[in-house]
Amino acid sequence: MIPLLVGITTITFSLTKALPGDPVYSIVGERSSPEIIEKIRKEIGADKGVVRQYAGYVTLLVQGELGRSYFTGRRVIDDIGVKLPNTMRLACASMIIAAPLGILFGFLSAKKRGKFTDRVITLLSISGISVPVFWSGLVLMLFFSLRLRLLPPSGTGGMQYLFLPAITLSLPAIATLVRVTRVMVIDIMDMPFIRTARAKGIPEAGVSMVHILKNALIPVITVIGLEFASYLNGAVLTETIFGWDGIGRYAMEGIIKRDYPVIMGCLLVGTLVFVFINLIVDVIYHYVDPRVRVHGTDR
Amino acid sequence: MLEQSIRAETKLVIAVTILFFLLLLASCSSRDRVEGFIHFRLNYNPSTLDPAYIVDVTGGNIAAKLFNGLVRLDEHLAVVSDIAESWEISPDGTIYTFRIKSDVKFTNNRKVIASDFKYSFERILDPRGKSPNTWVFEKVVGAKAYMRGAATEVSGIVVRDPHTLQIILEMPFSPFLNLLSMTAAYVVPKEEVERWGDDFSTHPVGTGPFVLREWRHNNRLLLGKNDHYFAGEARVEGICYRVIPEDLTAVTEFELGNLDVISLPASELRRFKFSNKWKDLIASREGLNSYYLGFNCFRPPFNDPLARKAISQAIDRRKILETYYEKRGGLAHGPVPETLRSWPPPEPPRYDPETANELIRRSGLQGRTIQFYITADQEVADIAEIIQSYLKIAGLSVAIKQLEWSSYKAALNKGEADMFWISWWADYPDPENFLFPLFHSSNHGPSGNRTWYTNKTVDELIEKGQRLTIRSARSSYYGNAEQIIVNDVPSVFFWHKADITLRQPTVRNYEIYPIYSVDKGLEVSF
Repeated sequence: MIPLLVGITTITFSLTKALPGDPVYSIVGERSSPEIIEKIRKEIGADKGVVRQYAGYVTLLVQGELGRSYFTGRRVIDDIGVKLPNTMRLACASMIIAAPLGILFGFLSAKKRGKFTDRVITLLSISGISVPVFWSGLVLMLFFSLRLRLLPPSGTGGMQYLFLPAITLSLPAIATLVRVTRVMVIDIMDMPFIRTARAKGIPEAGVSMVHILKNALIPVITVIGLEFASYLNGAVLTETIFGWDGIGRYAMEGIIKRDYPVIMGCLLVGTLVFVFINLIVDVIYHYVDPRVRVHGTDR
Repeated sequence: MLEQSIRAETKLVIAVTILFFLLLLASCSSRDRVEGFIHFRLNYNPSTLDPAYIVDVTGGNIAAKLFNGLVRLDEHLAVVSDIAESWEISPDGTIYTFRIKSDVKFTNNRKVIASDFKYSFERILDPRGKSPNTWVFEKVVGAKAYMRGAATEVSGIVVRDPHTLQIILEMPFSPFLNLLSMTAAYVVPKEEVERWGDDFSTHPVGTGPFVLREWRHNNRLLLGKNDHYFAGEARVEGICYRVIPEDLTAVTEFELGNLDVISLPASELRRFKFSNKWKDLIASREGLNSYYLGFNCFRPPFNDPLARKAISQAIDRRKILETYYEKRGGLAHGPVPETLRSWPPPEPPRYDPETANELIRRSGLQGRTIQFYITADQEVADIAEIIQSYLKIAGLSVAIKQLEWSSYKAALNKGEADMFWISWWADYPDPENFLFPLFHSSNHGPSGNRTWYTNKTVDELIEKGQRLTIRSARSSYYGNAEQIIVNDVPSVFFWHKADITLRQPTVRNYEIYPIYSVDKGLEVSF
């Protein structure tokens, strides 16, 4: 974990410093003397050498701090503490929608391979992958908010604010899961052990649920993990369209303004989230696939 | 048998899930309002509400409802009394003596006295602080020494008694009262600033008609009415600012009645303009701004006035304004907006492709690729492409370089661009604010003069205007300076953009003001 953290901090710091632009010009506004620019540069530590800046950053991290935003003056850790749970709610809600639907339709599509149902599901899933969220989000908003007047179009809050962004965000995930599940189920359906299971007289539902689906789930879990982790790192477009106060919007605003403490805080937390989710996925593998327990990933 | 029971269970689960979601949906509503509050939209979350650090219009607009200064601007942009009940200016124009009202209280219930202003102004200039607004007070005697850390106070800000404040300037500066109406000159209570430190921004305490009740960052900001405001009472219970970054989302919120007034996005203007329901509720007013195509006058090819004139005559500004821009502003005659000009407008070079071609030949522009810098904004990119096509017709090659805002400003401040598209918005309503920062040679680069334009005569005219207190005499200096600038073409002045708003039929007394600080939020009602 320590080498990982050192690696993450070094890379995030280097990437941030490699960005073109200068935050001071955004802080000072349209009219400022070179003296003030220098003073503010000094105040935020931008006048020091890169190594000293990095040392300062690591010292802050050791103290459990992520620094303060250059623009708002607020502690980045406090802001992330507000925005990360919001993004987590959005990510969880969209996964709750995406995972069962994606697996269900993927399975159905595989079972009805080559038939009308399969073609319709394939068409819809390709559309789901191809349609950008800023379009599907706006269409959903116009329908559910403006036409049906059921849901508020934007804001961060309770369940009613969560519906539209969660559905929007889940659409590409459903489509991806359908594709992955379909391919895996088709692969496994042709395996000899499935024939054996049927020959042993196991009912079709048992074959489907226990033998096919359970074996097909391993790559599906990987996809769910990766999608989930990417949502936790911010679904910028969805959060922007629906005015959802999440980490994606926060990081994006930080990047636009070159608010280095915000960018580095988001990158650091985002990377840790990614590592953590991957760890959970590995633990789940352990339970789903007995081979992982004994032989690692060898098959 | 097992298969049948699994199927039945699955169907039941699906049915229950659908029913649950339908019930949940039925319990929801698209209505999202705080009762008695007027609802506005913000495109982005304001960075700070601390007057010392505000540099953006959004922050300034909200701060105007929370704080007050010695003076303020009325709806005609005249300087009127705010916390100062009266003031006197010495005959030489350097000493300003303000008499402060005795009944003004901060929202923490403490009375405002003259030393609060001294504290607030010195806070801006504090050598340990990082306020970007020091330029507002830098002409006060002792300000520079204080900023350097060579003095413990600003000697030119003198508290004569608890209700008399004197400000002494190094030399006469005619727009000084205008400067005192700005956000940076608002009064703040020392005890609250010290109590909250860096977090004063999120716990602002002022004297204004509203108080900050809630600030959910990137979500909404609630201002409640201050019942003890010294200059009357707001007609609404409060103001709710919703942070909505996406234009179409904001329009949807407006159509649902969740917003009372919105700034109409260009993409929606036509739809509402031709709607019988909405067309009478659209209001428009030209703002105090100037949109222009700037040249780098410091280096070739645009250090040659002929080359600049050639470009200006090759582009039909009026046509771009009337077609692409859908007349969302007034055609500019020069840098100074019509609202502030009290002299005959200058005559900029006319669109004349033949003369432009001739000038291009004479100036040696042909065959060069012009580096045209713009920001990463779709509207700006569209305008840049139109300009590029005009210049292509004139036989010029233009390379558009699109940068995000911070990189763009860094590039401009270093003088990297040959040509760039930018706008300037007034800090205070005085022609000087469009001439001194943009064209005086002491302001090259980040101070505002990004064309690096230098003309000693213009410098002198602007300086003379700054020192005069008689408006008509100032006008002649500013008028002459503007005419010289227009003749020298350091920039092609396109238009002064109008603010276009759409309001709900229930909203009354809503006005668009040409500058953010005028609107205290007292008039608007339902």
